[in-house]
Amino acid sequence: MFKKTPLAAGVAAFATIIFAGGCAVADADKSGKVDYTAMTPHELAEYLMFEANGGGGFNLSQEVQEGGTARERMQQDELQKACSIIDDGKPDAETLSAIRAAAQESIVYPEGGIKLGDWKKGRELAWSGFGYRIGHNFDDHSKREAGGTCYNCHQLATDRTGGTVGPSLTGYGKTRGTSDAILKYAYDMIYNPHVYFPCTHMPRFGANGMLTEEKIADIMAYMFDPESPVNE
Amino acid sequence: MPAMGWTATNKDNPLMEVSMFKKALLALPVALALGAAAHAEKPPEEVLQGLIDSVDSAYLTQSEQNLLMMPDNPALWVGMDGEDLFHTARGPNNVSMEACDFGKGPGVLEGAYVEMPRYFEDTGKVMDLETRIVHCMTEVQGFDKDDPAVKQRHGSGSDHMKLQTYIAMQSNGMEWNNPLDHPLEKAMRDAGEVLFARRAGKADFNCFACHGQSGKQVRASVLPNATVGEDWTKAISWPAFRVGHDNVRSSQHRVRGCYYQMRQAGMKAGSDASIAVISYWTDLARGQPAILPDMKR
Repeated sequence: MFKKTPLAAGVAAFATIIFAGGCAVADADKSGKVDYTAMTPHELAEYLMFEANGGGGFNLSQEVQEGGTARERMQQDELQKACSIIDDGKPDAETLSAIRAAAQESIVYPEGGIKLGDWKKGRELAWSGFGYRIGHNFDDHSKREAGGTCYNCHQLATDRTGGTVGPSLTGYGKTRGTSDAILKYAYDMIYNPHVYFPCTHMPRFGANGMLTEEKIADIMAYMFDPESPVNE
Repeated sequence: MPAMGWTATNKDNPLMEVSMFKKALLALPVALALGAAAHAEKPPEEVLQGLIDSVDSAYLTQSEQNLLMMPDNPALWVGMDGEDLFHTARGPNNVSMEACDFGKGPGVLEGAYVEMPRYFEDTGKVMDLETRIVHCMTEVQGFDKDDPAVKQRHGSGSDHMKLQTYIAMQSNGMEWNNPLDHPLEKAMRDAGEVLFARRAGKADFNCFACHGQSGKQVRASVLPNATVGEDWTKAISWPAFRVGHDNVRSSQHRVRGCYYQMRQAGMKAGSDASIAVISYWTDLARGQPAILPDMKR
């Protein structure tokens, strides 16, 4: 996704170092004893995740909701790598603009334009924290649909308690209106917020496949519909 | 007898008067049984109160009710069971855990937990409390690794939680100070620092998504900030009784839960990755007093 950017080259070089490091460790040690102190912190972190403790420190063979296994979930894509900085610092300005550009490219808009769906469905989706958890208590999507987890971090309608990690969205449509520009902004923020806030902690609900186009329309209706309790 | 301070403090609290008679009956045997914990001058609720008095923190003050309940923390009784278990000869080898070294010599528990994870010469590994207990059960007491005593890691009724709570309580009020002198200790701590910032999974989260700011909430829960020592010592003070779970929980349980909520892979109990994370998070709380056992929402 970061092709033609300086970021891609940097990330590729980094990945090569890790790969080479892993091989060197395996080669150097035929006795089965691995020297953690010979690795860089990044090499060791990857080793602990994917190789230590007999196939990795996590249950990587577990199947996941989107298909494939937890191993693939734990492998970082380019954005995740670029935004993983010790002490949660930010990458340099050039990398940040590459992230924004790649985020813009990732966004797929609905045919016929951005539309609002059913705010009542959106209300429950925004409230639900269910979905995509694996490990010891697997979220079975065949029994219950995955939600948007919005209330984990945002306050919306005040009849329910929301988090404060993200900004309050109470009265969102009421205070901002429903122009094409603001609808596009909200759609982009849900689909891939890195387009405006590179390395934000908010998930890429569209680009990561956590929410379908229909669910995004329902959640946006919850934010914008004048009848929605968000806009009371 | 310093341990009596645990009951004396309750007299200052008018809300506790109702349960004074019950407390008088219950607290005396606790104080006697946990005599080894008496070196800690302050009970856990006073350690927490000291932090609350020293810093403005929405995390530390989020549950007044929990603070009031801490003198009656069910974890105290789990720890008492742990004391019996620790000193009882068990397993195929019929020996007690007194033969086991938690870093300060066989059977020495005072201050041992706040200096873990640490490197152990006999295994050549950096181990946290839980993996060290596994080692003692299997190598010293001779339990099979599939024995329920070894395998069952969670729940107040498990041997693990009883033993962890008892051992950890012998470090109440002491400052976190996991050693980083051995190259392996440093390597694990540094790998943990990388893992803490490592974004992955369906939702792109890393630990800082929840633990990089002060006073923020996920739904109704105020989150601890990993970069504020006073917040962070409470955050990592496990074992703690989790009111919402109605069980005493461990550090390993917390790390597993965080990876679960981050939509990342299921953590293997006691994996080196989990110990690296715990090494780093302990280092982040260095110098702050441990609250053991703690009570959390």
